[in-house]
Amino acid sequence: MPLCTGTVQGGEVMATKNAADHALTTSRRQNFKKHFGANWQVYALLMPAITYFIIFNYIPMYGVQIAFKDYIANLGFWGSPFVGFEHFERFFDSYYFWRLLKNTLILSLYELLLFPLPIIFALALHELSYGKFKRWSQTLTYAPHFISVVVVVGMIVAFLDPITGLVNHIIEFFGGTSQNFLTDPNWFRHIFVWSGQWQSLGWGTIIYLAALAGVNPELLEAAKVDGASRLQRIMHINIPAIMPTIVVLFILNMGNFMAIGFQKVLLLQNNLNSETSDIIATFVYETGILEGQYSFSTAVGLFESAINIIVLVSANYLARKVSDNSLW
Amino acid sequence: MSDKTFDILNKIFVSIIVLIIVYPLIFVISASISDPAAVSTGKMWLWPVDITLDGFKMVFQNKDIWMGYRNTIIYVVVGILVHLVLLLPCAYALSRPEVRWKTGILWFILFTMLFNGGMIPTYLVVKNLGMLDTMWAIVIPGALGAWSVLVARAFFQQNIPNQLVEAAKIDGASDFYIFYKIALPLSVPIIAVMALFHGVGLWNQYFSALIYLSDRNLFPLQLILREILVLNEMSTGEGVQEIAGSAGSFADQVKIAAQIKYAVMIVSTLPLIMVYPFVQRFFVQGVLIGSVKE
Amino acid sequence: MRVTRLLMIIIVFGVFLTACGKAEQQSFEGPTDEELENLNETGMPIVEEQISLEFFAGQAPATNPDWNDVLVFNEYEERTNMDIKWKMVPHDSIAEQRNLALGSGSLPDAFHSAQLGLSDIAKYGEQGVFIPLNDLIDKYAPNFKKILDDHPVIRNAITMPDGNIYSFPLISDPEFASHRIQARPFINKKWLDELGMDMPQTTDEFYQFLTAVKNDLGEVPFGGPYISTLTQYLLGSFGLATRGGSNSYIDEDPETGDIRFYPVSDDYKEMLEYVHKLYDEELIENNIFSIDHHQFITNLGDGKYGSVVWFAPEEVASKENGGNYIGMPTLEGPHGDKLLTKIGDPVQSPGAFVITNENENPASTVRWIDYFYGEEGMELFFMGVEGETFEKADDGSIQFMDHITQSEDGLTFEEEIAKYLTFPGGGFPSMVNEKFFQGVANAPQSLEASDKLEPDMIDDDKIWPTLTYTKEEINQLQGFGTDIEKYVGEMTDKFISGAEPLSKWDAYVAEIENMGLEDYLEIKEAALERQLK
Repeated sequence: MPLCTGTVQGGEVMATKNAADHALTTSRRQNFKKHFGANWQVYALLMPAITYFIIFNYIPMYGVQIAFKDYIANLGFWGSPFVGFEHFERFFDSYYFWRLLKNTLILSLYELLLFPLPIIFALALHELSYGKFKRWSQTLTYAPHFISVVVVVGMIVAFLDPITGLVNHIIEFFGGTSQNFLTDPNWFRHIFVWSGQWQSLGWGTIIYLAALAGVNPELLEAAKVDGASRLQRIMHINIPAIMPTIVVLFILNMGNFMAIGFQKVLLLQNNLNSETSDIIATFVYETGILEGQYSFSTAVGLFESAINIIVLVSANYLARKVSDNSLW
Repeated sequence: MSDKTFDILNKIFVSIIVLIIVYPLIFVISASISDPAAVSTGKMWLWPVDITLDGFKMVFQNKDIWMGYRNTIIYVVVGILVHLVLLLPCAYALSRPEVRWKTGILWFILFTMLFNGGMIPTYLVVKNLGMLDTMWAIVIPGALGAWSVLVARAFFQQNIPNQLVEAAKIDGASDFYIFYKIALPLSVPIIAVMALFHGVGLWNQYFSALIYLSDRNLFPLQLILREILVLNEMSTGEGVQEIAGSAGSFADQVKIAAQIKYAVMIVSTLPLIMVYPFVQRFFVQGVLIGSVKE
Repeated sequence: MRVTRLLMIIIVFGVFLTACGKAEQQSFEGPTDEELENLNETGMPIVEEQISLEFFAGQAPATNPDWNDVLVFNEYEERTNMDIKWKMVPHDSIAEQRNLALGSGSLPDAFHSAQLGLSDIAKYGEQGVFIPLNDLIDKYAPNFKKILDDHPVIRNAITMPDGNIYSFPLISDPEFASHRIQARPFINKKWLDELGMDMPQTTDEFYQFLTAVKNDLGEVPFGGPYISTLTQYLLGSFGLATRGGSNSYIDEDPETGDIRFYPVSDDYKEMLEYVHKLYDEELIENNIFSIDHHQFITNLGDGKYGSVVWFAPEEVASKENGGNYIGMPTLEGPHGDKLLTKIGDPVQSPGAFVITNENENPASTVRWIDYFYGEEGMELFFMGVEGETFEKADDGSIQFMDHITQSEDGLTFEEEIAKYLTFPGGGFPSMVNEKFFQGVANAPQSLEASDKLEPDMIDDDKIWPTLTYTKEEINQLQGFGTDIEKYVGEMTDKFISGAEPLSKWDAYVAEIENMGLEDYLEIKEAALERQLK
């Protein structure tokens, strides 16, 4: 709170300032009482969720300390010996650290580039007139979300197989030579990101559709009367109307910037494409979780969180600058 | 571009995307009733080849599967209720301009998205609250996340006009009343979406059941299905040696394993896909804001 | 202010919540007099007055889901008068649940089939959570003691750096070669005959066979679920892994007698050149680095491969075409090396059973578990009860009864077995042996193949046991050690596939040295000396 903004010069000013400060705080306190008295119900609405977060998120947070400790289960979180930044150093000093970081960042950025796709698709769906086609296209595009990672990877492997795969049959039909997509490091990122989009595009539209449902039909009607074309109405009414949702989802996405579903990466990974497919999450899985090194995985998790915070804050800043919307 | 051409182009665009996306669905359905050998060698790529229902037979042979369905439905219904009860008031309150320290509260919530204490401390909380081996262990931890709060808040901010709330206040309505009688009815789409997201999450959830439940009678569907899957996957790794085996019967099991994963997926998602059109109605049609306004 | 107060509350809560999770460090003093009064030192029942124990049970996927009511343990409870309460833990969450049990203060009396690794055994042994078993084994585990005395390599492999034994392992009967060999080479006999060729005896002849399959038959010469089953098989033909397969990447330099990191040796390079030649000339299935397991099994079942290194095709792929395959001997390499060296010590899983400091009846528990390392116990564990699950023929051989082998409910053999017994799925504390264990390793095709390999198997006294490390050593190995091993794994595949040319060999060696090879070898050497002492 920028309570004292004046430059302090000499004792007198200081004294008067203190007095003024004092007056200000008392009035603020009264102010607050009044404010709270009038609005206590709004705060009461907040309470269940806040309590929930305290119990199930904040109390367990003492677990984070094992990032700085050598966690031994029976000594507990508090009793395990303190090792400082040892786990962090081990991670940063790892031979593979830069490769992991680079691959993780590139993959995240690539996924980020596709962020507008569900928005475009949602706008397109929204423009369809209500009827069977609209309902079916939605239900059908929503369904792939439920295909498990194992099966999706199984399908990818089957399609891209250098000998029996459909894709290579097509390539050969047109006179090309069969490609080993799955072991080629240049292909991994495309395969990973686009198969993800393939699976989640329809699912990703749901929130935008809900937001579009809230667009005031009167506005659209008025624009129509004014002679605005469909495209113009989309550009000037629909998109601005869902902008706050877009911005919030974008920023929240940034908060998970480093999180990439490791299970799928792991299943698509082999020694030949690890040049591009080796990411922090799979590394943590292999060295941390499989070997039960909880401290180490927690430390890496903290590192990821730190990056996430930086990205999140910058995204919010950027959003506030560019559009008027932001998370806070 | 006239509205007509726009409509046509738009339909074509959507159709293409639907075609691309529908393909894996057909593949999964075909694979679930095809000879697994044809699937794994790429012979089956669209329509079923050498139809067999062994996969489904295997799944429905399991006598626990109906119990799993029942448990999961209970968890999903109760879970959605808990989720909404926690989520909606909070998201609404955060959307009100008069609430102070908003940045602080938002960060308080965002923070939970960025850091978590890990599995063991959470387990201890659940244990100390006496929830182990009860439905609550599945329904309550994870009932609320920062993501839903912030998304729902954005929706409230956007769709509940401030004048409306102010006007109601002048008429003497309390905040509780406004929330319940004005904000909620206007927010059907987001409620439907949040319920859907959370419900789907609960439906697919198995890890907390794995950790918190040991009473088989409480197992959700996903855990039962996993058992069937893992049981069959077992025969593929190097652990092959330690399983008892008589000539050839493994081979059969390996085959079924290949098919069963598709059948399991269909068994577990069909209900969700069937429910979807009903939920969809709430957020596709939209609410008539105009009529409530003024 | 507010924030700090909140933090205080959180911390206080946290302390309160974890306080119950703290276990005091205490050293095990041996069984109490109270226990010994109740204990029969030999014969059954083990205890006079019934005692009840709680066991954590890792539930492998193929096994019975509830051991509290299963023939094998019901019968054993009657014999021993010890009532075991099994806490079943599904396969997927064993590691987490183990940590929860260790961390939340509610320790079971013992962990059974819980897949404990060497570093966990060493760590919790040192902490006093798992009790040292050396004296208890001497006194109360005659069967297990005999195994350790007869096979020092087993004792070495489960002795921790502090000199104690904390666990009962899953072991293969050292005489049961077929189980120890794991994946083994098979060759397509039909095609071999068609080509009019003799069984390959050398790596060159094998190459000729593969070439003939490709050129004359137009078929796939070699397939596998991944490449490493082939390279493992070939190690001994190129003079690698001279001290067996328990410790990947280290062996004894045949010339100097020193410890050697063999992936940087010239012999390894020569092996890679050989395998690369096979891959390059398309003698190995092109998609071996990315093949789906089911696709491999289907191909194998269809008899599409000229040769494989895997488990008996007749058992794991298909009865019909699987029979085309017969075992292949160990190949003689370019320098006359002919030894199957991928074999490790007989310990398959070190931490199959550990006893915790909560256990008030450690001696009785040791007697309880020791039974499964003796004839009677193994019969019970692997075959069940005579007249209920198995019958003895006149010649003394035993087999499962018809209601198991030909299920009335249309269940497979494995499912039928899981109704009565708990061993399917592995990881159990016992010894897999030829007499009682009815599994893939004991099938005729497996035995035929292992008989061919057995004459050239590395001697047991040559095999170095799986190394165990102190805490400091583990810390270091988890750092640069895993990086080195990962690098070797990646580069091996790249050299084979040609993604990296073998002309880069020197750079590869230099890189590994750079990564800390010297320290790596020092740790291994120290561990080795300690263990062989």
